[in-house]
Amino acid sequence: MNPLKSKKTLLLLAGPGFVFLLIFFFMPLLYVLKESFQGEQGQVTLIRYFDVLRNDQFQLVFLRTLKMALIVTPIAVVIGYPTAYFISKLPAKRKSILTTIIILPLMTSPVARTYAWIVILGKYGIVNVVLTALHIIPEPARLLYTEGAIIVGLLQLFMPILILTVSSSLENVSNEVEEAALSLGSNRIGVFFRVVIPLSFEGLIMGITLVFTGCFTAYVTPAILGGANVLTLSTLMREQALVLMNWEAATVIAVLMIITTLILYNGIRAFRPRNM
Amino acid sequence: MKKSKFLIFIVVLAVIFLIGPFIIIIISSFNETSVMKFPPKGFSLQWYQKVFSVDMFRTTFLISLKVGALATLTALVIGIPVAYLNVRYNYKGKNVVELLFSSPAIIPGLVIGFALLRFFIYVAQVPITLGLYLGHTAILFPYTVRVVSASLRNFDLSVEEAAVSLGSSPLGAFFRVVFPNIQAGVVAAFILAFITSFNNVPISLFLTGPGVSTLPIQMLVYMEYYYDPTISALSSIIIVLTVIIIQTAEKMLGISKYM
Repeated sequence: MNPLKSKKTLLLLAGPGFVFLLIFFFMPLLYVLKESFQGEQGQVTLIRYFDVLRNDQFQLVFLRTLKMALIVTPIAVVIGYPTAYFISKLPAKRKSILTTIIILPLMTSPVARTYAWIVILGKYGIVNVVLTALHIIPEPARLLYTEGAIIVGLLQLFMPILILTVSSSLENVSNEVEEAALSLGSNRIGVFFRVVIPLSFEGLIMGITLVFTGCFTAYVTPAILGGANVLTLSTLMREQALVLMNWEAATVIAVLMIITTLILYNGIRAFRPRNM
Repeated sequence: MKKSKFLIFIVVLAVIFLIGPFIIIIISSFNETSVMKFPPKGFSLQWYQKVFSVDMFRTTFLISLKVGALATLTALVIGIPVAYLNVRYNYKGKNVVELLFSSPAIIPGLVIGFALLRFFIYVAQVPITLGLYLGHTAILFPYTVRVVSASLRNFDLSVEEAAVSLGSSPLGAFFRVVFPNIQAGVVAAFILAFITSFNNVPISLFLTGPGVSTLPIQMLVYMEYYYDPTISALSSIIIVLTVIIIQTAEKMLGISKYM
């Protein structure tokens, strides 16, 4: 890498992208931010924030979204981390095959992916059919439009992200290191917890960050699997903006979503090891 | 290291959970009745016929294709120079510039769509199609920068320096020496960004309206009114196409290493 000699090169290379983002990304965001602090007579006020934050429905929805992120993230780690470990040990060809399988939920249309759960969790879907046939439940249960349905959908979306992030960080953990620990008398579980996890800790934290913030802002999954009954932060915002035409509330929720995402993003990443 | 049975059990569980739903939706799309019961009864292609007979699916599919292609191309044109800058040079404030350029990937898509709607459609009165294209370009931009950067890092830049020292202009060296070597990365960026745009919902949600819609938004609208396997059939088509594209791209470009 070379030191940049002229300002002209910087302007030439970054200029077009910068101007584009300035006009079509930052300006609209700043406009919405400004609007959220504006009262009816154009004065600067926090009244809109108080209105939203005091609202019972908002509090309920915010806590529900937080709860779902808190449930989805650990499950994604418990299943995703070992899977990532398994993938990282495979020979190149099989690694490529399994990775393309894992990324399928990420690359497929979210509407198609989520609709599959409507078919699976529906009244006469496979889950209800199996459970009633085995007499575990007497009659088909309501599985759709519940928090559980959203959690399942979010897991399918975010587990691949965790697996990808962790498996790329596990590339750096060589077999030799693990074998050395084994030959020095550690057992396999000990090696996993004391050698493998610490060496891939940074990737794990990054994966957790992406999953957790992703759960907070996901839209399609809660929209299809939760419907209007089980709102999350994003479906609430959409409802306020496009159904109830309550622009003030939607604007404030939008800003709160950015703030929450940034706090979570930086908050979780603060756990990264410093000297690695 | 030998793999334990427990580890294999977890991996199998994960794979079933991740791709099982795709198999089930494909099975359900051949259902004979409109009630979605499992196991499906009979075998019928009527829902596939219905997909192709619904005009809105065809028109919105074409809009999705156009918006995706145009936004991806624009994002590449402004993204490749930024990737080149970040891989090639060290300069003061590089961290800030990198953060600035990746921010469309950090800010929730729903918020970006909402802000574009408020600012461009309501205040600046920009036509909604243009807003849709601009919004998609903004979110694809960090994507193209990331993928092209990854590909540039694998290219030995001293080759480019050699070309310049042998009398080539910097621009000539880029197009004749660097670009041919990162072509695979640029194609991978195009495919990944196009798929991202084609699948996008949060941005399009706010930037579509009467007459202008994308396929995913149209599918959501259809689902609100009808409950039959038509969406299963359409989803199956999309899933199979995605698998073919990813498989081909993985074989030819090794696309998974850019994700």
